[in-house]
Order: sequence, then structure tokens, then C-alpha cells
Amino acid sequence: MRASEDQLRAWMIGGLKGDAGAHAALLTALVPMLHAFYRRRVRDAAEDVEDLVQETLIAIHTRRGTYDPERPFAVWLFAIARYKMIDHFRRRRQSCSIDDVADILVVEGFEDASIARMDVARLLHTLPPKQADAIRDTRLDGLSISEAASSARIGESDVKVSVHRGLKALTARVRGQA
Amino acid sequence: MMTTDALIRSLAADLRPVPRNAVGLRVAAGLAMGGLVTTMLIGAWLGFRPNFSLVLHSQSFWMKWAYAASLSAVAIAATIQLARPEPIRVRGLWLLGLPIVLLALVGLIELARLPSDQWLAMWLGRSWKQCPWVVLRLAIPIFIGLLWAYRRLAPTRLRAAGAAAGLAAGASAATLYCLHCPETSALFVLTWYSLGIAMMTAIGALLGPRLLRW
Repeated sequence: MRASEDQLRAWMIGGLKGDAGAHAALLTALVPMLHAFYRRRVRDAAEDVEDLVQETLIAIHTRRGTYDPERPFAVWLFAIARYKMIDHFRRRRQSCSIDDVADILVVEGFEDASIARMDVARLLHTLPPKQADAIRDTRLDGLSISEAASSARIGESDVKVSVHRGLKALTARVRGQA
Repeated sequence: MMTTDALIRSLAADLRPVPRNAVGLRVAAGLAMGGLVTTMLIGAWLGFRPNFSLVLHSQSFWMKWAYAASLSAVAIAATIQLARPEPIRVRGLWLLGLPIVLLALVGLIELARLPSDQWLAMWLGRSWKQCPWVVLRLAIPIFIGLLWAYRRLAPTRLRAAGAAAGLAAGASAATLYCLHCPETSALFVLTWYSLGIAMMTAIGALLGPRLLRW
């Protein structure tokens, strides 16, 4: 079972105080999470994903002093994972679109860690069905734009526009409620 | 390749506790080391002002010092904010405008007090050709100190982090350069100090994406 934000944060704070057991428990718990994160986004060989996971673990260890215990752990974690992924693509000279940390938290199931504790399903329900489907397909279920387009039987640009408009409407709604 | 389990064991094996404000301490250590080298350079290369107790009573010294030190303080705060990986927007950058506007006001008063045929001489002082380059050269040790600090930190906006480190290095070097610089005019400082600081900032922004990668 995946560890919760609270559990990860407690291990992290223990590690910062010098508790080697807590630190090892944290890193071990992060391995499957990072695997899932990179597998969903990096379509490379398994060894590359393994490399990225190890590099990220080393970065988390070396740079652990930059975690502020007052702030959500998942935000810090995925900001590092995201940076390592961008660096990976840069070295390969590949280009790809990369989500914001806020989007990543939703996809990885850490939306509670973000500042707005919003029920994603309930929010999506308030959008027109086409926009909600486009966001659910591309941002939550990890489909590519073309996969989402063929499953909804609409054009790719239509999917992109729907995602864009839907996210914009959601952002406006979240800001309004805050 | 090492297995992930072995990697985790080796990382946890040499675990040392991390102080609570580790980011600030690390940046302070980089600044202090760079600042020490810069101070020694001033002593060996330029020399300190001989009549230092007199200098400390002069308004122009404190004007220069306050200008450079306040720019430096804002830049150091930005450097610290950019050292964390989270997508934080850098706050407080508008504060950079305050010392600039204040010094410009002092400069206007200076201009009003002097006949216009002396304006150019005041603006250029005796060292306008060297001043920006001296500030830039003195900034390099501090910039290196901040690069060293960033090696254990996690900047994700590398260009912005490089620019902040360059600005902090330039402004801190200018703060120390006051120990030598004999100029007294506000407009001189506003132009030539700022030019040196701006060059260091631009170099930082240029080099950031290359030197700060991790």
C-alpha cells in the first residue's frame, strides 16, 4: 500500500533529525512512487526509468536540507522528480510537455497536499462533459492527446482546446472559492 | 548498476542530522567565504582607505554602503527563495526599487546644488572607467561562493537562480568596495556601481542554466 503524505512527512522529518531508520524507510517507500511517476511520463526503456529513480533518490538525499517541514512533502518531492525528468529530456534533446507540480499532485493522488483541498471529481462535474472528459483522459488517466481524441471521436486540437478551457474554468472556480 | 536497495542502504548509512534552517546557513557560508576572499583582494590589490575612522563619519560612505547593502539584502533573500525546488514565486523583488529611487532623489538634490558645468565631472568622478570592472572582479569570489552553496541546494529555475546569485554577489562586492572607493557622489554610485552589479547579474543569468544543473 502506498504511504500517506503524513507518513512520508514524518519519515522525512525523522531523517532530517538524523534517524537513519526513518530515512531508509522514506527512500524505500518512494521507490514505487517514483517508478509510477516516471513510467507514466517517460516512455523509455526500463533501465532508463531505473536510472532516473536512483538519481532522484540521490538528489532527495543530498538536497534534503531544502525541505521545509512546514510545507507539504509531496510538493517538494514531485518538484524534484519533475526537475530530474526535465533534465533527463534535456540530455536526450527530446521535447515534451511537462505538467505543473500542481497537476502532478492531482495525477499522483496527492491533491490533498496541494494548498487547495478540492475534490477533483466534484470539480470536474461542474464543467461541460466534453471538457471534463478531456481533462480526465489526458491529465488523470495519462492518455496522450491523440488517444483521448480517438476515444472521444473528436479532433486533437478539440481535445487541447477543451483541456485548456476546462483547466482555466477550474482555476477560476478554485480561486473564487479560496 | 547498483541495486536500488543497496543504494538506499548506503545513503542511509552516513546520515547526518540537518539543521533546521539549512538553506540559509549554506547560503550564509558561501557568502562569508566569498566575502572573505573579496575583502583580502581589496586589501592586497586596492588598499583600504587610510583615514578609516574619518571615513566612517562621512555621509557619502554610508550612502554608498546603504545603497549596496540594501540591494544585497534583497538579492540574498531571492537567492534563498530560489534554492528550494517548490514552485514558489519570488517575493520582495520590488524592494530593489527603493534604494534605487532614494539614491536617484539624492542625486537630483546634488544636481540642484551644483552649477551645470560641473555635472559631468561629478557624474564621472575620478574612477568611472575602473569602477564597474572593479565591482565585477570583486564579485567573482562571492559568486563562486554562492555557486558552491547551491551545490547542496535544489534550484529548479536555474536562470533566475543564477541571476539572483549574480545580483547578490555584485551588490555584496559593491558593499565591500566602499572600504576602498573614494567617490562621494550619489549619481556616480547610482550609475557605475549599478553597472558593475548589473553586469554580474547578467553573467549569473547567462551561466545559471549551465553551472547550476544537478
